[in-house]
Amino acid sequence: MDEAVPALVAVAIPDSAPLRVLVADDEDDIRGLVCLAVRKAGGTVVAEVSDGSAALDAARDQAPDLAVLDVSMPGATGLEVCAALRADPRTAGIRILLLSAGASLDDVARGLAAGADAYLAKPFQVAGLVHQVQSLTARQPA
Amino acid sequence: MSTLQLAPAELPGALLGRSAPHRGLLRRLTGRSGPVLDRSLPSTAMFAVAGVLLADGVLPVVDGELVLAGLATALVASLTSRRLSVQTGEIDRLQGQRTALLAQVQTRADELDVATRMLAARAQTMTSVIDAVTEQSIIGTDVDGVIRVWNPGAEKMLGLPRPDVVRKRSIVEFHLPEELEAAAEGHGSATGLEALVHAAAEHGSDVRDWTYVAADGEPRTVSVAVTPRTDDRGVHAGWNFVGTDMTEARATERMKDQFVSLISHELRTPLTSILGYLELVLEDEEQPLTDEQRQYLTTVERNADRLLRLVGDLLFTAQVDAGRFTLQPQDVDLASVVRAAEETVRVTAAGAGVEVVVEVPDEGLVVPGDAVRLGQACDNLVSNAVKFTPAGGRVTLSLRAAWQAPDGTVCADERPGARPVAQLAVRDTGIGIPTGEQGKLFTRFFRASTAQRNAVPGVGLGLAITKAITTAHDGVLDVESAEGEGTTFTLTLPRAGA
Repeated sequence: MDEAVPALVAVAIPDSAPLRVLVADDEDDIRGLVCLAVRKAGGTVVAEVSDGSAALDAARDQAPDLAVLDVSMPGATGLEVCAALRADPRTAGIRILLLSAGASLDDVARGLAAGADAYLAKPFQVAGLVHQVQSLTARQPA
Repeated sequence: MSTLQLAPAELPGALLGRSAPHRGLLRRLTGRSGPVLDRSLPSTAMFAVAGVLLADGVLPVVDGELVLAGLATALVASLTSRRLSVQTGEIDRLQGQRTALLAQVQTRADELDVATRMLAARAQTMTSVIDAVTEQSIIGTDVDGVIRVWNPGAEKMLGLPRPDVVRKRSIVEFHLPEELEAAAEGHGSATGLEALVHAAAEHGSDVRDWTYVAADGEPRTVSVAVTPRTDDRGVHAGWNFVGTDMTEARATERMKDQFVSLISHELRTPLTSILGYLELVLEDEEQPLTDEQRQYLTTVERNADRLLRLVGDLLFTAQVDAGRFTLQPQDVDLASVVRAAEETVRVTAAGAGVEVVVEVPDEGLVVPGDAVRLGQACDNLVSNAVKFTPAGGRVTLSLRAAWQAPDGTVCADERPGARPVAQLAVRDTGIGIPTGEQGKLFTRFFRASTAQRNAVPGVGLGLAITKAITTAHDGVLDVESAEGEGTTFTLTLPRAGA
């Protein structure tokens, strides 16, 4: 499955859907799955990273429309990245979707309190993730 | 020596003589039958007899005449004898009283001795019992918190011997100051001791975790039972603190909590990949699968879903244990929940040859609760019923509005004092549960012997979870079962407006 991810990354990005998405997850397989879902939603993955610090750097460099962040990551957790993005005026407007194996109400509440726009518990349905990406990016100004 | 001549006629009384013929001679001489003393009697005997006669008001005669000196002597002897007699009687009486008093004193002394020994034995028993407690601390204080009782368990837990503590230290000195201050602030107590005992003072006893600090500075998490102590007159005299060291147990609980969270996370992550990629493959319209491929992958998906449910159940029980189980209350139509449960189990039931019948009010039945959790509880009951029913059997889901009396009985009609409830009965014609095992059904990981004999899959979490959800909704979960005939689980929940 690891080998499939680079091939999937090569999928063409439609010019008509300039939705720029940052994907951060330390699990390669899941990161690949998320990238697939982003593309199914009509978006393009501008950065794929596997730790929180890299996610923060990529967000500042790439200024994506949406950041899909895993909560449990080395370097900085998704919650910390989320809070840092919100605290920085350059990145405060980025839409944030948190993914986590924590499915309790407390987990969701913590994620939303950190500034996330949406929270999806693992395991998620790919169709559900596609829908989330679409609905979050649909709020972006044209 | 002068003598007194008395007329024989004046002589009353008895006749005394050394011998019968002698007494007869004397009687003839005196002509009387009164007392006549024979002079030839030994003088001491004669005077003694005369004294006795005089004391009795009888004048003795000695052969018709009385020697005055003898009479005087006799009189003195008589008076002395009489006084002696009186004194002797008094002495005898006093002696008797003294003897009686001595006996009473001895009796009281014996009783006191017995009581003292009983008290000593009782005290020794109490002391030996308290001293035998080496794994729990037993600390008794006066009303000011000064320690009066300190058992070996307290010595072991807190590292100080009794002589260093009793009457010298206060109970609050062994508590973590920050914790005590926070507790005192929490309910407005003026002192640390008040923070420790206020709940016991209010309710008669209180059990909760406190942090003791041992002599070496090591904090110990201790479950402390606090109760008021009274003296022999029943007057409040202080407090008892019985503590069990829970440091290791609480650490284990935290570890278990962390372990379950870790396992949950570690299992959910690969399951996310498995289920996600399966979804992509199964729904890829551009590259449709053959029927055989689809069947295989559907089997993989079904088992991955099963694994996911198990992970969810484990996580849920851990949340219940940790007290982190929360509900999202809203109005829930139980009829919809029941129909959804039937839909969920429909394919499985059809495959197993089990008929599922739904009997719910058309207008629905609303209860306040968490829709997701109630759905989970209902799903558990229905899927269990199908699992435990052989082919050809039937599972009936009946939902009705009812009324529950304070004693727990449920009836169809409204009655004074009864609360409105919704009652869901899930009845099957399955293998049943042995009577002796029904009490353990809601215990985590318990599996009925009939389930094991019939190789019905499961780990024994479903009913424990259903019970926890029911309890969290202020409801009741009952079971009736007969082995070989079937089982009915009845879920009773308060209705909206209850």
